Amino acid sequence: MSMFGFRISPSSTIDLDKVDRNRFKKLCALEPDASKCMACGSCSATCSASEFSGMSVRKVLLCLQQGREKEAYAMMSSCMLCGKCLMVCPRGINTRHLILSISRIYGKEESI
Amino acid sequence: MNNVTHLSGYNNFVLPFMIGMIFVLSCCAIGAVRVILELPASDKKKFFLSLINPKIMAQNVRDWFCDCLFHVKLWKRNKLLGYMHSSIAFGWFMIILLGHIEVFLYTPDRIHKLWYPIFFRYFVAVNDNTMQGSFFFFLMDFFLLIILSGILLALVKRVRSRAFGMRRTTRLSFTDRIGLYSLWLIFPLRLLAEGFTADISGGSFLTMSLNHVLHSFLGSEMNMLPTWWAYSLTLGTFMCILPFSRYMHIPAEILLIPMRNAGILITHSRKGVSRLYVHTCPGCGVCIDACPMGAVKANNKDATVYLNRQLKRGNQRRINEISEKCLLCGKCSAVCQVGVEGDKLRIAQRTQIKYNLSPDYSKIDVNSLINTNNIFVNTANKNVSYTENKKVLYFAGCMTSLTPSIRKSMVSILNKSGVDWRFMDEEGGICCGRPMWMAGRLEQAKQMAEKNTEIIKTSGADMLLLSCPICYRIFKERYSLEGVEVLHHTEYIDRLVSEGRLNLSRSDTRYVYHDPCELGRGCNIYEQPRHVVSAVGELVEAAKNGKESVCCGGSLGSLTLGFDKRKPLTENALANLTAGSPDAIVTACPLCQSTFGRYSDRPVKDIAQIVDENS
Amino acid sequence: MNEIVVIIGGGIAGLEAARQLLALGHSPIVIEKSDHLGGHVADWHKLFPDMKPAKDIVDELVSSSKDANIFLHTEISFINRLKDRYNIMLSNGISITSRYILFTTGFRLFDAAKKEEYGYGVYNQVITNQDLEKWFNTSKDSRIDNSAMKAVGFVHCVGSRDEKARNTQCSKVCCITAIKQAIELKEKFPDAEIYCFYMDLRLFGKKFEDFYIKAQRDCGIHFIRGRVSEVSENIDGKVIVKAEDTLAGRPMKVTLDLLVLMSGMVCNPDSTRVAGMMSLPIDSDGFLRSTDNVSRNTVSPKNGIFYAGACTGPKTVPETLAEARSAVLEIHNSIISRR
Repeated sequence: MSMFGFRISPSSTIDLDKVDRNRFKKLCALEPDASKCMACGSCSATCSASEFSGMSVRKVLLCLQQGREKEAYAMMSSCMLCGKCLMVCPRGINTRHLILSISRIYGKEESI
Repeated sequence: MNNVTHLSGYNNFVLPFMIGMIFVLSCCAIGAVRVILELPASDKKKFFLSLINPKIMAQNVRDWFCDCLFHVKLWKRNKLLGYMHSSIAFGWFMIILLGHIEVFLYTPDRIHKLWYPIFFRYFVAVNDNTMQGSFFFFLMDFFLLIILSGILLALVKRVRSRAFGMRRTTRLSFTDRIGLYSLWLIFPLRLLAEGFTADISGGSFLTMSLNHVLHSFLGSEMNMLPTWWAYSLTLGTFMCILPFSRYMHIPAEILLIPMRNAGILITHSRKGVSRLYVHTCPGCGVCIDACPMGAVKANNKDATVYLNRQLKRGNQRRINEISEKCLLCGKCSAVCQVGVEGDKLRIAQRTQIKYNLSPDYSKIDVNSLINTNNIFVNTANKNVSYTENKKVLYFAGCMTSLTPSIRKSMVSILNKSGVDWRFMDEEGGICCGRPMWMAGRLEQAKQMAEKNTEIIKTSGADMLLLSCPICYRIFKERYSLEGVEVLHHTEYIDRLVSEGRLNLSRSDTRYVYHDPCELGRGCNIYEQPRHVVSAVGELVEAAKNGKESVCCGGSLGSLTLGFDKRKPLTENALANLTAGSPDAIVTACPLCQSTFGRYSDRPVKDIAQIVDENS
Repeated sequence: MNEIVVIIGGGIAGLEAARQLLALGHSPIVIEKSDHLGGHVADWHKLFPDMKPAKDIVDELVSSSKDANIFLHTEISFINRLKDRYNIMLSNGISITSRYILFTTGFRLFDAAKKEEYGYGVYNQVITNQDLEKWFNTSKDSRIDNSAMKAVGFVHCVGSRDEKARNTQCSKVCCITAIKQAIELKEKFPDAEIYCFYMDLRLFGKKFEDFYIKAQRDCGIHFIRGRVSEVSENIDGKVIVKAEDTLAGRPMKVTLDLLVLMSGMVCNPDSTRVAGMMSLPIDSDGFLRSTDNVSRNTVSPKNGIFYAGACTGPKTVPETLAEARSAVLEIHNSIISRR
């Protein structure tokens, strides 16, 4: 909380200074396509799971890079790995492997 | 020469053979017991019950002869390759069998000595009794000659594998090499050993003639014992190395055949049938040439034969790499001579990957996906012309929503044929689960299947129609939809045409039909699409088709293969399809269509599209 | 001083080059595959930023280059290199010997049917930027229903910046073309809602930004930052477009009466074919490769062969014309230095 004591909700500012980038770097090592997204939104619009959990590969990547892991996990919870995002991605990102790689690298600390 | 040792029926040189024999038999026994114990209880029961089922047993015996001895599948693939393998396997089998018959007929008192039939010629001397067996002498020599011709071919194959229909062969491991060289040596040494003793033991055209030649310049009988020692030593070496080399496939296949005929499937990544598969792999390398990833040379080391090798060695890093890269097109399984299912083995490996995050579909409300559009109301559809109509629920699938041409053509065909039908996923739906299954996350796939089953049951449909072979396969294999017929559109269109509900006009267009992996090898549908294509135009066949069709390269089966790595695979598959210079490529899978469409120089269409255009 | 220069392609670059060569006293020979001069521009209606009719530009160029030797309906059969010149065999049986060849082979519009999910050739309401320009010119297109034009969508980057379409490059002119066409369409159908689906708006040229502001402020065109990923058809024969509004971070859909696909520029296969005859290098973007892309972009690595216009990459009309002049100057200087 702020030292002045008049802020009632936590700041929505994304503090990039405090983001731990290690896991994202690990992700990029396992699936280099993780850094190729140009945020066109094709994957989000076509996603079969979007209506169930707001899944969007684009947003998941953005969240992970900004240290908003929990939001990413919530979105991924209904991903069906159907591969539609793989088909539409103009950057040719291997989205399915990306999602599986995220499921492997992330999430451990959450379960503790 | 000491006649006494000859006639006593024992000499120290049998020791290497006996050690090898006992070693190999105990290894096989332990291995077989282990595999059987590792089976789940239900499979164990199934296996033992199959052994007392006369029909399955008859099938087993037939397969033992056809597969293990005569290598019928190899003959079909390449005559030279078939001859090479069956000459060695069957020849050797006959020599062992005839050897025992000889002993049984002429020296029945020694049948209990395990080594005796193998070294029979050393221990017997010609007398009136054994001479009656000149027919057997002839047969023994004859089969030895057959084997030697096989060995000669094997030598040629090492140098010129292309003559045997193989572009690439397996890189041998160290133990495989020792096994190979000792196997090559066994029979020439046997010939030499029998050649030296033929004047005493008796022989036929081969051994007798050799005996004359040998005696004419070597003369001395001193050579006799060393050659028998050498023969026994190579036999011993071969048998001692056998459990650690690819030659383990010889005993393993004997067990795999009844397991397969009993219908036992892979349930574990390493244990039970998986273990048996790994050991049954003869390392022949037919899967290397078959693998569509082989279009890029670097991928050769990811063929099933190397997966099996890494599984034997327990190299986890490589196992994961190979398993996750595979397209799961199933071609290696289709061409495998011993029936190793490389695709299923890989899915089993994928189930072992640890994930920290797992999707959970329990919150998905199926009712939100059920609406008046996909529920059949009890009153019959007024627009439907046929009275005895099935209520058809059409599940276009995820991929089909990205190929509007298929979707639109299907709608048009269904309406033209007067079918009473509904869209199951017009506004989107739940994935069939096959992509998740292929990723090895079976539990999640089952959850999806449950959700979809609920929708289908609620709809009141009699038939589920699918456009995507990926969906079709899992609906066929893993869903339990009693009372609902599951059909792929190729089958359904074929049925509509044969029932006269859809009239097609024929053009002169030359079409080549591409068998999608999941539809052809996956679900065994080869004929119906060809009927349909032939009804609208001229059917041209690809260089490799049907069971051996080449994956388009777009498969969801591969997890790690990136977009740019797939291009050469697609180009290779296209070259195969256009060998007969067709005007257009026809397929029956939205994924194949998109993948080919990207690189093809001629139109790529779905079968529904050409049917709609010509009806 | 008079030198024969063979110009391959009778588009605006070829015509401008012919005009300039004539002015410098040379003898240009223009070889054009189709039955008319002016290339793609001849099919266009109006050109940004001044909305000058494309026809005027083409007519001007055709009349001022009429003294050149022009072969229509003619292709290159083969080219072989003699000692210091080229022997060019034409499909009409004529052979030309020349020291200089200028490639003005241009581009080809990306085949929008290759982007299957957009439904070009499947749905009746889906057209391309080229179809729309033709309609502006002729008012004839069965797919465009004048009476029912309530909502129109423009999809940017169709076949550009797209690995799946095998073209990862930006086609440069589609952003401004889409805005221009959207404004023109809005003027014809003032009641229609017009949506532009873009990934990035790349409005780099003179007065391009003015067009953008006009489209927003005066025409009320909606700009949605998101690439269209699915197009389907409803029961009334309208198309439903799905995209993500990436600024809102939410998926969206809209029902449209017309969807215009902004097909990008890809290298003309004919120019690759002819370049192959002389083993000229092809760049990683599929276009012809210049000696360098900064200071010698009209010069090929081979003696006597020059490039101008979109054969080396997507270009606007003024850029193409400027490049044609620049190439002519290179050729002229080369001719002079030989003497």
